[in-house]
Amino acid sequence: MATTATPLPGGQRPNIPSAAVRFPAIKTYDQVDREIAGTLGPSLGWFGALGIAILCMLIGATAWTYQIHEGLGAAGYQPPVMWGVYIVTFVFWVGIGHAGTLISAILYLFRAGFRTSIYRASEAMTVFAVMTAGLFPILHLGRPWKFFWLIPYPNWRLIWPNPKSPLVWDVFAILTYLTISSTFLYIGLIPDIAILRDREKNPIRKAILSQLSLGWRNSDREWRHFTRAYLFLAAFATPLVLSVHSVVSFDFAMALTPGWHATIFPPYFVAGAIFSGIGMVFTIAIPLRKAFKLEHYITLNDLDAAAKLCLFTSSVVGLAYLTEFQVAWMSGNRFEQDYFWNRVFGQWAWAAWIMLICNVVLPLSLWSQKLRRNPAWLFILSLFINLGMWFERFVIVVPSLSHEFEPWQWGTYRPTWVDYSILLGSFGWFFMWFLLFIKQLPVMAMAEIKEVILPPMRRRRDFSHDLTQGVVDPDETGATH
Amino acid sequence: MSQDTKKPGVKRREFLKVLGATSAAVAAAGCSEETGKLIPYLVSPDQTVPGVSTYYATTCRECSAACGLIAETRDGRAIKLEGNPDHPVNHGALCARGQSALQGLYNPDRFRSPMVNEGGAWKVITWDDAITRLSQGITQTRGANRAGGAVFINQHESGSFPRFLDTWLAGFGMPPHLSVDFESDAAAIEANRRTYGVAWPSLSFKDAKIIVSFGADFLDSWGANVPQQLDFADARARLDGAPRFVYIGPRRSLTGLNADEWIACKPGGELAIANALAGKGSIQQAATDAGVDQAALQALATELAANKPALVLSGVSGESALDVALAVAAINQASGAVGVTIKPAQPLTGFEGIAHTDQLLGAVERMRAGQVSVAFVRGVNPAYHLPKASNFADAFAKVPLRVSFSSFPDETTELCNLIIPDLHSLESWGDAEPIRGTIALQQPVMDPVFPTNSKTIPVAPGTADVLIQVAKKDATVASKFGAPDYRATLIAGFPGGAQALGAALPKGLAAGTIPARTLAAAPAVAPKTTSIASTQGEFFLITYPSPLLGDGRGANKPWLQELPDPVTKVSWSSWIEIHPETAQRLGIDRGDILEVKTANGTVRAPAFPYLGVHKDAIAIPFGRGHRAAHAMPMFDPKTHTVGEVQWGYGRYARDLGINAFDLLPVGTHAAGGFIWTATKASVSKTGDNEALPSTEGSARQHGRGIAQAVNAADLNKPGAGEGGEAKEALPGDASHAFLPGLRSPVAADAQGDLGAPTAADQGKNKGLYREDDIRGMAKRRWAMTIDLARCTGCSACITACNAENNVPTVGAFWQNATIYADQKPGFNITRGREMTWIRLERYFEGNPDGKFGQDFETRFVPMLCQHCGNAPCEPVCPVYATYHAPDGLNVQVYNRCVGTRYCSNNCPYKVRYFNWFGYGEVDRKQYAFPEPLNWQLNPDVTVRGKGVMEKCSFCVQRIREAENRATLEHRELQPDEFTVACAQGCPSRAITFGDAADPNWTVAQLANDKRAYHVFEELNTYTAVVYLKKVNHPAAGATAPRA
Repeated sequence: MATTATPLPGGQRPNIPSAAVRFPAIKTYDQVDREIAGTLGPSLGWFGALGIAILCMLIGATAWTYQIHEGLGAAGYQPPVMWGVYIVTFVFWVGIGHAGTLISAILYLFRAGFRTSIYRASEAMTVFAVMTAGLFPILHLGRPWKFFWLIPYPNWRLIWPNPKSPLVWDVFAILTYLTISSTFLYIGLIPDIAILRDREKNPIRKAILSQLSLGWRNSDREWRHFTRAYLFLAAFATPLVLSVHSVVSFDFAMALTPGWHATIFPPYFVAGAIFSGIGMVFTIAIPLRKAFKLEHYITLNDLDAAAKLCLFTSSVVGLAYLTEFQVAWMSGNRFEQDYFWNRVFGQWAWAAWIMLICNVVLPLSLWSQKLRRNPAWLFILSLFINLGMWFERFVIVVPSLSHEFEPWQWGTYRPTWVDYSILLGSFGWFFMWFLLFIKQLPVMAMAEIKEVILPPMRRRRDFSHDLTQGVVDPDETGATH
Repeated sequence: MSQDTKKPGVKRREFLKVLGATSAAVAAAGCSEETGKLIPYLVSPDQTVPGVSTYYATTCRECSAACGLIAETRDGRAIKLEGNPDHPVNHGALCARGQSALQGLYNPDRFRSPMVNEGGAWKVITWDDAITRLSQGITQTRGANRAGGAVFINQHESGSFPRFLDTWLAGFGMPPHLSVDFESDAAAIEANRRTYGVAWPSLSFKDAKIIVSFGADFLDSWGANVPQQLDFADARARLDGAPRFVYIGPRRSLTGLNADEWIACKPGGELAIANALAGKGSIQQAATDAGVDQAALQALATELAANKPALVLSGVSGESALDVALAVAAINQASGAVGVTIKPAQPLTGFEGIAHTDQLLGAVERMRAGQVSVAFVRGVNPAYHLPKASNFADAFAKVPLRVSFSSFPDETTELCNLIIPDLHSLESWGDAEPIRGTIALQQPVMDPVFPTNSKTIPVAPGTADVLIQVAKKDATVASKFGAPDYRATLIAGFPGGAQALGAALPKGLAAGTIPARTLAAAPAVAPKTTSIASTQGEFFLITYPSPLLGDGRGANKPWLQELPDPVTKVSWSSWIEIHPETAQRLGIDRGDILEVKTANGTVRAPAFPYLGVHKDAIAIPFGRGHRAAHAMPMFDPKTHTVGEVQWGYGRYARDLGINAFDLLPVGTHAAGGFIWTATKASVSKTGDNEALPSTEGSARQHGRGIAQAVNAADLNKPGAGEGGEAKEALPGDASHAFLPGLRSPVAADAQGDLGAPTAADQGKNKGLYREDDIRGMAKRRWAMTIDLARCTGCSACITACNAENNVPTVGAFWQNATIYADQKPGFNITRGREMTWIRLERYFEGNPDGKFGQDFETRFVPMLCQHCGNAPCEPVCPVYATYHAPDGLNVQVYNRCVGTRYCSNNCPYKVRYFNWFGYGEVDRKQYAFPEPLNWQLNPDVTVRGKGVMEKCSFCVQRIREAENRATLEHRELQPDEFTVACAQGCPSRAITFGDAADPNWTVAQLANDKRAYHVFEELNTYTAVVYLKKVNHPAAGATAPRA
């Protein structure tokens, strides 16, 4: 509902502006095209970043090749800790993907306006995060060249994978998620690719973009089909946000290991996934905003709203930690209690406290609106969130395995350079794809932004009131709130 | 026809010429001089069937006891050793050292041919050359009239060989040989001789009403450990009728851990206690002298008086050793033990005729004085065993001709100038008299592993044959050695001749005696020692033979290096045991490198806080610390050439650990034996720390009920089966009633609830499995019981399993990754990557506040795959690499495993092991079976490659073999017809295996014993391994420690 927004005296908190005046600094469609399509095309800084990403990826690839040749003994596994950095990183990357789908699909269904500027980058982040995550189930295998046995394909031996095993469910969940997310991303990109096609001069690139845009002519009929398709895919992707990470959590919840065998895991993981994903969105979007000078698009209001979501999920995660503690305490189960004590106060206290401080304590700062609207703080916090969420998965996987039922087999875990190289390589792989994406395809949904800015009008003088009149764009006043 | 046309290309005639010529050339090239061998037998001997093993009876020579072996051979290669069930000494059991004889036979560092040292460089020579050189050397010595000064040091063995050797020596005018056994207890032997007239009477633990041991580690390496362990376990299996066992000594060895009570006296205090118990001296004074609790000593005295006959043993190794042994003999006599628990009429003759250290030292002094012209060493390693303080190397160097008959590149061999390697006992003929009246035969179970390099000698000869060849070269001696080889000599000396020998060979036993050596009476020995009290240092230094490595013989056998020490659970490393309170006082943590200094030497090793050592003492085992005399490069399997000699006792043993003998002074006690606890030492921290390669996570059960025990007094009380100790009752627990078939009603395995008595059809429906299948898989439930009252923690089961199932060893320092990875021995063990399918957990009980006193109890639990009826590992494998077989086995399919390791995460017992490297792949650095160790591999069991999971299979190959044999013979499988490797070898008879669904099998009866329980029963895993609770015999009035 569009009302005139009255300017407030300086020093008071502004309203979140209505959808009609979401991007007050953006006046024309051509400005959108120019500014966003103008981010494409390589620059020196981008080459530098890409170079670093590729270097990291190559370090990881070398370590992986060495590991395949030598055996998993080159990594830091130390029985009884049979899963370590790789599974932790796998869950980490899958979790990150969920925020992207939440922002682009679920918030679309909820008609949350603040998603518009960040959802394309988030959706791309999801696809690449899932691509990264998908490497790890292969990577941590003892015989990775046989990984395809987990996929149900008809074979003359009449052997199928074991449908009771959560790892096989993972295969279905990840593949489904990857398929839907890429489809969703691609469909949403079609109008934007058409914009690029129309602006493109180079005949080869124009031909490619023409193919990719599937002959988009910006007709009414096409728009009707498009919104239907987009809505359908958004609805289809929504349950995946809940189901995929629940299935990943079943890797742990379905085992009888103390610390894993808990019903809290699916909601705990889903909340954690969204939380970590928002963290990664901040890590990506804030430097992107600065580097591409997109402050008018990714406004402080958007960051504020995303930060609130971050705070909410952090609280859910904190509640899940408390629940774990309470369950262990009240269960009367000696194994569970011993494990929990060892995790929080014993051998693994250092990791548990990193996790708690980064995930529960530091995000409490987001109660302050000043900090929610401070991009620098959000960026720093997001790095801590990434660290904290990686450590959360570490604290789930390693302490349980190291302190299980049999005291004779209790042990510890020390990753080696191979583990760290592959962890670094996964970040390199992810950022390589993401950097390539932002320079080939628009990092922001131009078509959707155009939906919410004022439409171009033929004759301005007929317009009785300019909806933007009098609205104070907080970014332009330089006022600090 | 045109004359000047030439057809282009090759003409037919030329083509055929060329074809013919090349074919001939190729065929000729195929017939080269070098022939490779593809299969062991082209024409197999009679009665061998390919794929079926042939079994030979022989004798084990890993220690002086001479137990009987049955060697399983396949295609001409020995692959497994078992005890001989008919043998009167070991009755079919075999200890870890006996099992490891195979790794001595196939040791990659064995000498392959004779060698001679010329000008400092070793040169390979042929057998003929070696025999010629030896003959020339002896002739030279005789010519110079120096033959009387020769010294022959032989590894002590019983049988015809000692006499044969003396005859040979006498023929050349040389004095009789010294038969040395460094592990033997000279004091006990001397006391036995004085009291009973024999060196080692048989001991009967079963007939004793109380057992007291003064440091006699009869379960470790004191005496003949297999029969002692068999008997002791039988005695303890009497449960409430079992004798109590009290151990007195400064260090609680494995034997001490099996005792019901430990009286921790300080070293040297045993004499006062023994005298007091014998009635010569007051208990009060003894308690003060020895530093022990008077009440405990008084209670023991009372108990001894009330329980007759007793069995009291002495294994003290201090300056008063002989006096203690004599006092103990007096106690035994007073207790009426003679003839009942101590049987001089059935002596173990394997211990007769041992020359003790004082005689050896005398020979060394003669060497030093230049009186020895030629020295022979066979099988014994004085350069390692005699302390550095004796300067053996210098004395030995003065001998002009030094001949070694040793098979291994040990420290003594390196000092010799002629090496003529003996064959391994599994490749040679021989005999033994393990117990008076029984002759045990020894026969080669296969051709020698290493072929001969001589054209005239077709098969590599053993020492006896070499001696015969040398004798034949001398006209005067040749007359005494008419037989062509040692085998013929044995036949000639065997009662009944060749025919009788042939008839006796299948069982390997015959009645009779072997005439002993005639030795001049040994002169009375004056002890040469300094009193321990006069040495410098704040701690008594206790050194003791390692129960696995013995006196060091086992150091190059990777099975024995990797076997965790039964007490400390450390492998691939030396350690220094120190009391935890002392460690705390000095600020010493586990793994801190300590420097131990005595007047004779200094060593550095990691600390091991152990509550079983006296507060004022430290303890160091010997057996490790082998060194090469000159610097050698670190072993690298990738660049190593076959045949390159690994001096320093071999690739696995060199530079590993410390040699405790370096710290000791040269001292012998009144019986002539070497004193192991001879000096005090000072200890200081170096500031370094090294993780000890140990399989131990936590040494306490933390109330989890893994090893349960019940007091003997409570055994017959109602509720002893379910009660005994409090068990957690978790919500949702299923019924704990033991199902006869051990089938879980909730198991969703291949058989569902088929065969379960709780099924609607009471288990009669076999479903898809053919009812008329004669093997009847669907009606079986393979299961196992392990009796903790019998298990002594000796680890023989682990070695037997390793041998049977091709389990790799992973502790060698080169078995780690290549790039930027630690190359330290035992590294993989530090990383928890041990591979043994069965492990012995050792839990201490008592004093829960952590302050350990001497009242702690130890429980040994063999832990292996439980083959759960409701296995947690099965549903989580994504590729069905592990599933439940219809006969109850949890099966692991190596070829299907992709290595996700989820199964191990879900296993509560943690009995699954992963191949982190290519331990089974020949071209890898980490290969665990360097040639010819791979000859030992069992062809019935897959050798696993990199990246697959493995675990105990209940010896499925033996199960299928037995079932197949029964099928072929058109009969049913008989109850207890076969068993698994661990059960077969166990000298305590603790493990029983069989079909629990058939009441005729022993295991089915044992599984219903009132002491039976399952580990982690509350997890509803329905394990097929049933444990029987240990039975404790606390001192009257004492409260037993609670779990």
